[in-house]
Amino acid sequence: MQYRTVKSIEEALSQAASAAGEQTKYLAGGTDLVVQIAEGAVYPAMLIDISGIQALRGMERTAEGLRIGAATTIAEILEAADGEAGESGVPECLVQGARSIGSPQIRRLATIGGNVCNASPCGDTLAPIIVLAGALSLRSGKGRREVPAEEFFLGPKATVLQPGEILEYILIPSSHLEGRCAFRMIGKRNAQVISQVNIAVWLKQAEPGAAIEDIRIAAGSVAPIPLRLRKAEELLRGSVPGEPLLQTAQRAVQEEIRPISDVRTSEEYRRSVTAALFRDALAGTLEA
Amino acid sequence: MLLEFELNGKQTRIEAEPTLRALDLIRDVLGLTGTKEGCGRGECGACTILVDGQPVNSCLLYAAKLQGRSVTTIEGLTTEDGSKELHPLQQAFVSEGAMQCGFCTPGMILSAKSLLDRNPDPDREAIEEALSGNLCRCTGYGKIVKAVQRAAAGGGGGAAADQPGGSG
Repeated sequence: MQYRTVKSIEEALSQAASAAGEQTKYLAGGTDLVVQIAEGAVYPAMLIDISGIQALRGMERTAEGLRIGAATTIAEILEAADGEAGESGVPECLVQGARSIGSPQIRRLATIGGNVCNASPCGDTLAPIIVLAGALSLRSGKGRREVPAEEFFLGPKATVLQPGEILEYILIPSSHLEGRCAFRMIGKRNAQVISQVNIAVWLKQAEPGAAIEDIRIAAGSVAPIPLRLRKAEELLRGSVPGEPLLQTAQRAVQEEIRPISDVRTSEEYRRSVTAALFRDALAGTLEA
Repeated sequence: MLLEFELNGKQTRIEAEPTLRALDLIRDVLGLTGTKEGCGRGECGACTILVDGQPVNSCLLYAAKLQGRSVTTIEGLTTEDGSKELHPLQQAFVSEGAMQCGFCTPGMILSAKSLLDRNPDPDREAIEEALSGNLCRCTGYGKIVKAVQRAAAGGGGGAAADQPGGSG
Protein backbone atom coordinates (compact mmCIF):
# COMPACT_ATOMS: atom_id res chain seq x y z
CA MET A 1 0.00 0.00 0.00
CA GLN A 2 1.54 3.26 -1.13
CA TYR A 3 1.20 6.39 0.97
CA ARG A 4 1.31 9.97 -0.24
CA THR A 5 1.12 13.07 1.91
CA VAL A 6 -0.18 16.02 -0.07
CA LYS A 7 -0.31 19.74 0.67
CA SER A 8 -2.94 21.00 -1.77
CA ILE A 9 -6.22 19.88 -3.31
CA GLU A 10 -4.61 20.04 -6.76
CA GLU A 11 -1.82 17.72 -5.63
CA ALA A 12 -4.37 15.33 -4.14
CA LEU A 13 -6.35 15.24 -7.39
CA SER A 14 -3.24 14.70 -9.49
CA GLN A 15 -2.02 11.89 -7.24
CA ALA A 16 -5.40 10.21 -7.54
CA ALA A 17 -5.34 10.69 -11.33
CA SER A 18 -1.83 9.22 -11.56
CA ALA A 19 -3.07 6.06 -9.90
CA ALA A 20 -6.07 5.74 -12.21
CA GLY A 21 -7.30 2.19 -12.50
CA GLU A 22 -6.10 1.27 -9.04
CA GLN A 23 -8.14 1.89 -5.96
CA THR A 24 -7.02 5.01 -4.13
CA LYS A 25 -8.49 6.32 -0.90
CA TYR A 26 -8.25 9.77 0.56
CA LEU A 27 -7.22 9.52 4.21
CA ALA A 28 -7.97 12.23 6.74
CA GLY A 29 -8.29 11.28 10.42
CA GLY A 30 -8.41 7.58 9.59
CA THR A 31 -10.62 6.59 12.51
CA ASP A 32 -12.93 4.63 10.21
CA LEU A 33 -10.66 3.90 7.24
CA VAL A 34 -7.68 2.54 9.21
CA VAL A 35 -9.96 0.03 10.93
CA GLN A 36 -11.56 -0.97 7.62
CA ILE A 37 -8.09 -1.52 6.10
CA ALA A 38 -6.88 -3.46 9.15
CA GLU A 39 -9.92 -5.73 8.91
CA GLY A 40 -9.44 -6.27 5.19
CA ALA A 41 -12.75 -4.65 4.29
CA VAL A 42 -11.02 -2.31 1.84
CA TYR A 43 -7.70 -2.78 0.01
CA PRO A 44 -6.59 0.53 -1.44
CA ALA A 45 -3.44 0.44 -3.56
CA MET A 46 -2.70 3.99 -2.49
CA LEU A 47 -3.62 6.20 0.43
CA ILE A 48 -3.53 9.95 -0.13
CA ASP A 49 -3.25 11.75 3.19
CA ILE A 50 -5.19 14.99 2.87
CA SER A 51 -5.19 15.95 6.55
CA GLY A 52 -2.38 18.48 6.03
CA ILE A 53 -4.14 20.47 3.30
CA GLN A 54 -4.68 23.89 4.87
CA ALA A 55 -7.44 24.79 2.39
CA LEU A 56 -9.51 21.92 3.78
CA ARG A 57 -9.17 23.00 7.39
CA GLY A 58 -11.12 25.36 9.58
CA MET A 59 -14.40 27.22 9.47
CA GLU A 60 -15.28 30.47 7.79
CA ARG A 61 -18.42 32.61 7.91
CA THR A 62 -19.10 34.09 4.49
CA ALA A 63 -22.04 35.92 2.93
CA GLU A 64 -23.33 32.54 1.76
CA GLY A 65 -23.21 30.90 5.16
CA LEU A 66 -20.83 28.83 7.28
CA ARG A 67 -18.13 26.92 5.43
CA ILE A 68 -16.62 23.99 7.28
CA GLY A 69 -13.49 22.56 5.66
CA ALA A 70 -13.72 18.80 5.16
CA ALA A 71 -10.51 18.09 7.12
CA THR A 72 -11.61 20.13 10.13
CA THR A 73 -11.48 17.78 13.09
CA ILE A 74 -14.47 17.08 15.30
CA ALA A 75 -12.43 18.39 18.25
CA GLU A 76 -11.75 21.66 16.40
CA ILE A 77 -15.47 22.15 15.76
CA LEU A 78 -16.22 21.59 19.45
CA GLU A 79 -13.39 23.89 20.56
CA ALA A 80 -14.78 26.64 18.34
CA ALA A 81 -18.25 26.09 19.76
CA ASP A 82 -16.97 26.05 23.34
CA GLY A 83 -14.79 29.11 22.81
CA GLU A 84 -15.16 31.99 25.21
CA ALA A 85 -16.79 34.21 22.62
CA GLY A 86 -19.42 31.55 22.01
CA GLU A 87 -19.92 33.13 18.61
CA SER A 88 -18.53 30.39 16.43
CA GLY A 89 -21.83 30.25 14.59
CA VAL A 90 -21.82 26.45 14.60
CA PRO A 91 -25.49 25.48 14.93
CA GLU A 92 -26.39 23.67 18.13
CA CYS A 93 -27.53 20.43 16.49
CA LEU A 94 -24.17 20.08 14.73
CA VAL A 95 -22.33 20.72 18.01
CA GLN A 96 -24.47 18.11 19.75
CA GLY A 97 -23.89 15.63 16.93
CA ALA A 98 -20.14 16.26 16.98
CA ARG A 99 -20.04 15.78 20.73
CA SER A 100 -21.71 12.37 20.36
CA ILE A 101 -18.90 11.00 18.22
CA GLY A 102 -16.48 8.50 19.74
CA SER A 103 -14.13 9.56 22.50
CA PRO A 104 -11.78 12.52 23.06
CA GLN A 105 -9.06 10.53 21.27
CA ILE A 106 -11.29 9.78 18.30
CA ARG A 107 -12.63 13.35 18.08
CA ARG A 108 -9.05 14.66 17.98
CA LEU A 109 -8.30 12.63 14.83
CA ALA A 110 -11.68 12.31 13.14
CA THR A 111 -12.84 14.92 10.64
CA ILE A 112 -16.30 16.09 9.66
CA GLY A 113 -15.54 15.31 6.02
CA GLY A 114 -14.58 11.79 7.04
CA ASN A 115 -17.83 11.36 8.93
CA VAL A 116 -19.72 12.46 5.80
CA CYS A 117 -17.70 10.48 3.23
CA ASN A 118 -17.66 7.31 5.32
CA ALA A 119 -21.45 7.43 4.79
CA SER A 120 -22.40 5.23 7.67
CA PRO A 121 -26.17 5.52 8.21
CA CYS A 122 -25.45 6.20 11.89
CA GLY A 123 -22.89 9.02 11.42
CA ASP A 124 -23.74 11.63 14.04
CA THR A 125 -23.08 14.75 11.94
CA LEU A 126 -25.16 13.61 8.97
CA ALA A 127 -28.70 14.28 10.20
CA PRO A 128 -27.63 17.73 11.50
CA ILE A 129 -26.03 18.64 8.17
CA ILE A 130 -29.16 17.51 6.31
CA VAL A 131 -31.62 19.50 8.46
CA LEU A 132 -29.36 22.54 8.13
CA ALA A 133 -29.75 22.25 4.33
CA GLY A 134 -26.00 21.68 4.05
CA ALA A 135 -24.44 21.62 0.60
CA LEU A 136 -21.31 19.61 -0.13
CA SER A 137 -18.68 21.13 -2.40
CA LEU A 138 -16.97 18.38 -4.40
CA ARG A 139 -13.80 18.86 -6.43
CA SER A 140 -12.40 16.76 -9.22
CA GLY A 141 -10.19 17.24 -12.25
CA LYS A 142 -13.31 18.45 -14.06
CA GLY A 143 -13.94 21.26 -11.61
CA ARG A 144 -16.30 21.86 -8.72
CA ARG A 145 -19.88 20.75 -8.15
CA GLU A 146 -22.23 21.28 -5.27
CA VAL A 147 -24.51 18.51 -4.02
CA PRO A 148 -27.21 18.92 -1.36
CA ALA A 149 -26.25 16.75 1.60
CA GLU A 150 -29.51 14.84 1.45
CA GLU A 151 -28.72 13.74 -2.13
CA PHE A 152 -25.12 12.73 -1.35
CA PHE A 153 -25.83 9.37 0.30
CA LEU A 154 -26.78 6.34 -1.80
CA GLY A 155 -26.55 3.57 0.79
CA PRO A 156 -24.34 2.34 3.63
CA LYS A 157 -20.79 3.42 2.68
CA ALA A 158 -22.02 4.53 -0.74
CA THR A 159 -22.13 8.12 -1.98
CA VAL A 160 -22.30 10.08 -5.23
CA LEU A 161 -18.53 10.71 -5.03
CA GLN A 162 -16.85 9.72 -8.31
CA PRO A 163 -13.42 8.04 -8.28
CA GLY A 164 -10.82 10.65 -7.35
CA GLU A 165 -13.42 13.23 -6.37
CA ILE A 166 -12.77 14.99 -3.08
CA LEU A 167 -15.07 16.68 -0.55
CA GLU A 168 -13.77 20.21 -0.14
CA TYR A 169 -16.16 21.80 2.33
CA ILE A 170 -19.63 21.70 3.78
CA LEU A 171 -21.67 24.88 3.40
CA ILE A 172 -24.48 25.60 5.86
CA PRO A 173 -26.48 28.35 4.12
CA SER A 174 -27.24 31.58 5.98
CA SER A 175 -30.97 30.83 5.70
CA HIS A 176 -30.50 27.82 7.98
CA LEU A 177 -28.05 29.39 10.40
CA GLU A 178 -31.16 31.26 11.50
CA GLY A 179 -33.76 29.32 13.40
CA ARG A 180 -33.17 26.72 16.08
CA CYS A 181 -32.06 23.12 15.90
CA ALA A 182 -31.42 20.15 18.15
CA PHE A 183 -29.88 16.70 17.87
CA ARG A 184 -30.69 13.67 19.98
CA MET A 185 -29.17 10.20 19.91
CA ILE A 186 -29.42 7.05 21.90
CA GLY A 187 -26.76 4.42 22.42
CA LYS A 188 -25.92 1.75 24.96
CA ARG A 189 -23.84 4.04 27.15
CA ASN A 190 -23.10 7.74 27.31
CA ALA A 191 -19.61 7.84 25.85
CA GLN A 192 -17.70 6.07 23.09
CA VAL A 193 -20.78 4.59 21.52
CA ILE A 194 -22.34 4.28 18.09
CA SER A 195 -25.86 5.62 17.73
CA GLN A 196 -28.69 3.11 17.71
CA VAL A 197 -30.82 5.96 16.45
CA ASN A 198 -30.13 9.66 16.01
CA ILE A 199 -32.34 12.52 14.93
CA ALA A 200 -32.02 16.21 14.18
CA VAL A 201 -34.73 18.86 13.95
CA TRP A 202 -34.35 22.39 12.57
CA LEU A 203 -37.19 24.90 12.61
CA LYS A 204 -38.00 28.55 12.31
CA GLN A 205 -40.63 30.54 14.20
CA ALA A 206 -41.26 34.30 13.94
CA GLU A 207 -41.38 34.47 17.73
CA PRO A 208 -41.90 32.15 20.70
CA GLY A 209 -45.38 30.62 20.54
CA ALA A 210 -45.77 31.45 16.85
CA ALA A 211 -46.50 28.90 14.16
CA ILE A 212 -43.65 26.85 12.71
CA GLU A 213 -42.69 28.70 9.53
CA ASP A 214 -40.40 26.03 8.25
CA ILE A 215 -39.08 22.74 9.59
CA ARG A 216 -36.67 20.00 8.54
CA ILE A 217 -36.29 16.62 10.26
CA ALA A 218 -33.73 13.89 9.56
CA ALA A 219 -32.84 10.67 11.32
CA GLY A 220 -29.89 8.27 11.23
CA SER A 221 -29.63 4.50 11.68
CA VAL A 222 -33.25 4.10 10.63
CA ALA A 223 -32.67 3.42 6.91
CA PRO A 224 -29.74 2.63 4.56
CA ILE A 225 -29.04 6.37 4.39
CA PRO A 226 -29.66 9.26 6.80
CA LEU A 227 -33.31 9.97 6.07
CA ARG A 228 -35.25 13.18 5.68
CA LEU A 229 -38.68 12.78 7.34
CA ARG A 230 -40.89 14.83 5.05
CA LYS A 231 -44.30 13.57 6.19
CA ALA A 232 -43.82 14.84 9.71
CA GLU A 233 -42.36 18.06 8.32
CA GLU A 234 -45.49 18.62 6.21
CA LEU A 235 -47.77 17.96 9.16
CA LEU A 236 -45.97 20.47 11.35
CA ARG A 237 -45.17 23.22 8.86
CA GLY A 238 -47.48 26.20 9.45
CA SER A 239 -48.82 24.86 12.73
CA VAL A 240 -48.67 25.67 16.41
CA PRO A 241 -48.48 22.03 17.39
CA GLY A 242 -50.68 20.76 20.21
CA GLU A 243 -50.77 17.27 21.64
CA PRO A 244 -52.99 15.62 18.98
CA LEU A 245 -50.82 16.95 16.13
CA LEU A 246 -47.61 15.97 17.92
CA GLN A 247 -48.89 12.41 18.26
CA THR A 248 -49.89 12.34 14.61
CA ALA A 249 -46.41 13.59 13.68
CA GLN A 250 -44.80 10.92 15.84
CA ARG A 251 -46.80 8.25 14.01
CA ALA A 252 -45.73 9.78 10.70
CA VAL A 253 -42.10 9.50 11.79
CA GLN A 254 -42.59 5.85 12.67
CA GLU A 255 -44.23 5.15 9.33
CA GLU A 256 -41.58 6.91 7.27
CA ILE A 257 -38.49 5.29 8.77
CA ARG A 258 -37.24 1.93 7.50
CA PRO A 259 -35.20 0.48 10.34
CA ILE A 260 -33.68 -2.98 10.47
CA SER A 261 -32.54 -5.21 13.29
CA ASP A 262 -28.75 -5.43 13.50
CA VAL A 263 -25.88 -5.88 15.95
CA ARG A 264 -26.74 -2.70 17.79
CA THR A 265 -30.48 -3.10 18.37
CA SER A 266 -33.80 -4.31 17.00
CA GLU A 267 -36.15 -2.83 14.41
CA GLU A 268 -38.95 -2.56 16.98
CA TYR A 269 -36.77 -0.67 19.44
CA ARG A 270 -35.60 1.72 16.72
CA ARG A 271 -39.17 2.44 15.62
CA SER A 272 -40.30 3.13 19.15
CA VAL A 273 -37.30 5.18 20.27
CA THR A 274 -37.15 7.29 17.09
CA ALA A 275 -40.62 8.67 17.85
CA ALA A 276 -39.55 9.52 21.40
CA LEU A 277 -36.27 11.13 20.30
CA PHE A 278 -38.16 13.13 17.66
CA ARG A 279 -40.51 14.44 20.32
CA ASP A 280 -37.58 15.34 22.58
CA ALA A 281 -35.63 17.07 19.79
CA LEU A 282 -38.72 19.02 18.78
CA ALA A 283 -39.22 20.11 22.38
CA GLY A 284 -35.60 21.27 22.34
CA THR A 285 -36.19 23.56 19.37
CA LEU A 286 -39.78 24.78 19.65
CA GLU A 287 -40.25 27.93 21.69
CA ALA A 288 -43.67 27.92 23.32
CA MET B 1 10.15 6.92 4.67
CA LEU B 2 12.45 8.85 6.96
CA LEU B 3 10.43 9.95 9.96
CA GLU B 4 11.59 12.82 12.11
CA PHE B 5 9.66 13.68 15.22
CA GLU B 6 10.14 14.47 18.85
CA LEU B 7 9.64 11.48 21.12
CA ASN B 8 9.47 12.18 24.84
CA GLY B 9 11.52 15.33 24.39
CA LYS B 10 14.19 13.81 22.15
CA GLN B 11 14.52 14.34 18.41
CA THR B 12 14.06 10.97 16.74
CA ARG B 13 14.98 9.99 13.17
CA ILE B 14 13.97 6.59 12.00
CA GLU B 15 13.25 4.81 8.75
CA ALA B 16 9.76 3.31 8.84
CA GLU B 17 6.96 2.11 6.61
CA PRO B 18 4.47 5.00 6.40
CA THR B 19 1.53 2.71 7.07
CA LEU B 20 3.07 1.03 10.08
CA ARG B 21 0.81 1.84 13.01
CA ALA B 22 2.29 4.39 15.40
CA LEU B 23 1.53 1.82 18.09
CA ASP B 24 3.80 -0.76 16.43
CA LEU B 25 6.50 1.82 15.72
CA ILE B 26 6.58 2.81 19.37
CA ARG B 27 6.42 -0.70 20.82
CA ASP B 28 8.21 -2.94 18.35
CA VAL B 29 10.68 -0.61 16.63
CA LEU B 30 11.45 1.88 19.38
CA GLY B 31 11.02 -0.62 22.22
CA LEU B 32 8.75 1.52 24.38
CA THR B 33 6.28 -1.08 25.58
CA GLY B 34 4.44 1.09 28.08
CA THR B 35 1.91 1.86 25.33
CA LYS B 36 -0.51 -1.06 25.22
CA GLU B 37 -2.66 -2.61 22.53
CA GLY B 38 -6.16 -3.44 23.67
CA CYS B 39 -8.82 -3.59 20.99
CA GLY B 40 -6.75 -2.36 18.05
CA ARG B 41 -9.72 -0.45 16.66
CA GLY B 42 -9.92 2.79 18.59
CA GLU B 43 -12.45 1.78 21.17
CA CYS B 44 -10.54 1.06 24.39
CA GLY B 45 -7.87 3.77 24.70
CA ALA B 46 -5.12 1.44 26.01
CA CYS B 47 -2.87 2.65 23.17
CA THR B 48 -3.38 6.35 23.94
CA ILE B 49 -0.37 8.58 23.29
CA LEU B 50 -0.13 12.37 23.24
CA VAL B 51 0.56 14.02 19.90
CA ASP B 52 1.29 17.72 20.29
CA GLY B 53 -0.15 17.36 23.77
CA GLN B 54 -3.47 15.86 22.67
CA PRO B 55 -4.55 12.27 23.32
CA VAL B 56 -5.02 10.05 20.28
CA ASN B 57 -5.35 6.31 19.67
CA SER B 58 -1.97 5.14 18.36
CA CYS B 59 -3.63 2.05 16.84
CA LEU B 60 -5.50 4.31 14.40
CA LEU B 61 -2.53 6.44 13.50
CA TYR B 62 -0.14 5.61 10.71
CA ALA B 63 3.51 6.31 11.44
CA ALA B 64 3.60 8.87 8.60
CA LYS B 65 1.27 11.07 10.62
CA LEU B 66 3.93 11.53 13.31
CA GLN B 67 6.17 13.46 10.89
CA GLY B 68 7.25 16.70 12.56
CA ARG B 69 5.07 16.13 15.62
CA SER B 70 5.84 15.97 19.30
CA VAL B 71 4.93 12.61 20.82
CA THR B 72 4.65 11.72 24.49
CA THR B 73 4.31 8.15 25.71
CA ILE B 74 3.99 7.00 29.29
CA GLU B 75 7.79 6.62 29.38
CA GLY B 76 8.06 10.38 28.80
CA LEU B 77 6.42 11.27 32.08
CA THR B 78 9.25 10.39 34.41
CA THR B 79 11.90 13.02 34.92
CA GLU B 80 14.69 13.40 32.42
CA ASP B 81 17.45 13.69 35.01
CA GLY B 82 17.60 9.95 35.52
CA SER B 83 16.04 10.03 38.96
CA LYS B 84 13.43 7.36 39.67
CA GLU B 85 10.82 9.84 40.77
CA LEU B 86 7.35 9.27 39.40
CA HIS B 87 5.27 11.96 37.75
CA PRO B 88 2.64 13.33 40.18
CA LEU B 89 -0.12 11.60 38.21
CA GLN B 90 1.69 8.28 38.34
CA GLN B 91 2.27 8.72 42.05
CA ALA B 92 -1.38 9.61 42.59
CA PHE B 93 -2.48 6.42 40.78
CA VAL B 94 -0.17 4.44 43.10
CA SER B 95 -1.38 6.28 46.18
CA GLU B 96 -5.05 5.75 45.35
CA GLY B 97 -4.54 2.16 44.28
CA ALA B 98 -6.13 3.20 41.01
CA MET B 99 -5.15 0.08 39.10
CA GLN B 100 -5.51 -3.64 39.20
CA CYS B 101 -4.15 -5.35 36.12
CA GLY B 102 -2.60 -2.06 34.98
CA PHE B 103 -3.20 -2.54 31.28
CA CYS B 104 -5.33 0.61 30.90
CA THR B 105 -3.16 2.70 33.23
CA PRO B 106 -0.69 4.25 30.76
CA GLY B 107 -3.56 5.45 28.56
CA MET B 108 -5.55 6.68 31.55
CA ILE B 109 -2.58 8.66 32.83
CA LEU B 110 -1.87 10.24 29.45
CA SER B 111 -5.52 11.26 28.98
CA ALA B 112 -5.45 12.71 32.50
CA LYS B 113 -2.19 14.54 31.80
CA SER B 114 -3.64 16.18 28.72
CA LEU B 115 -6.63 17.28 30.79
CA LEU B 116 -4.57 18.72 33.65
CA ASP B 117 -2.25 20.51 31.23
CA ARG B 118 -5.18 22.52 29.87
CA ASN B 119 -7.38 22.54 32.99
CA PRO B 120 -5.40 22.26 36.25
CA ASP B 121 -8.55 22.28 38.38
CA PRO B 122 -11.12 20.05 36.67
CA ASP B 123 -14.44 19.08 38.24
CA ARG B 124 -15.55 15.47 38.34
CA GLU B 125 -17.55 15.79 35.14
CA ALA B 126 -14.52 17.14 33.26
CA ILE B 127 -12.39 14.25 34.53
CA GLU B 128 -15.00 11.67 33.51
CA GLU B 129 -15.30 13.28 30.09
CA ALA B 130 -11.50 13.34 29.62
CA LEU B 131 -11.26 9.65 30.56
CA SER B 132 -14.33 8.58 28.58
CA GLY B 133 -12.19 7.09 25.81
CA ASN B 134 -10.21 4.88 28.19
CA LEU B 135 -11.88 1.67 29.26
CA CYS B 136 -10.94 -0.11 32.50
CA ARG B 137 -12.28 -3.61 33.03
CA CYS B 138 -11.03 -4.00 36.61
CA THR B 139 -11.48 -1.08 38.94
CA GLY B 140 -14.75 0.55 37.99
CA TYR B 141 -13.21 4.02 37.60
CA GLY B 142 -13.88 5.37 41.10
CA LYS B 143 -10.27 5.20 42.25
CA ILE B 144 -9.03 6.38 38.88
CA VAL B 145 -11.11 9.55 39.12
CA LYS B 146 -9.91 10.01 42.71
CA ALA B 147 -6.30 9.67 41.59
CA VAL B 148 -6.74 12.42 39.00
CA GLN B 149 -8.40 14.62 41.63
CA ARG B 150 -5.48 13.92 43.95
CA ALA B 151 -2.92 14.85 41.32
CA ALA B 152 -4.87 18.01 40.48
CA ALA B 153 -4.87 18.96 44.15
CA GLY B 154 -1.10 18.64 44.13
CA GLY B 155 -1.17 15.54 46.29
CA GLY B 156 0.39 13.17 43.79
CA GLY B 157 3.87 12.90 45.16
CA GLY B 158 3.59 14.65 48.50
CA ALA B 159 4.03 13.18 51.95
CA ALA B 160 0.40 12.06 51.97
CA ALA B 161 1.24 9.76 49.11
CA ASP B 162 3.89 7.75 50.88
CA GLN B 163 1.68 4.83 51.72
CA PRO B 164 0.60 3.06 48.57
CA GLY B 165 -3.12 2.40 48.62
CA GLY B 166 -3.35 4.00 52.01
CA SER B 167 -6.25 6.24 51.20
CA GLY B 168 -8.08 3.91 48.85
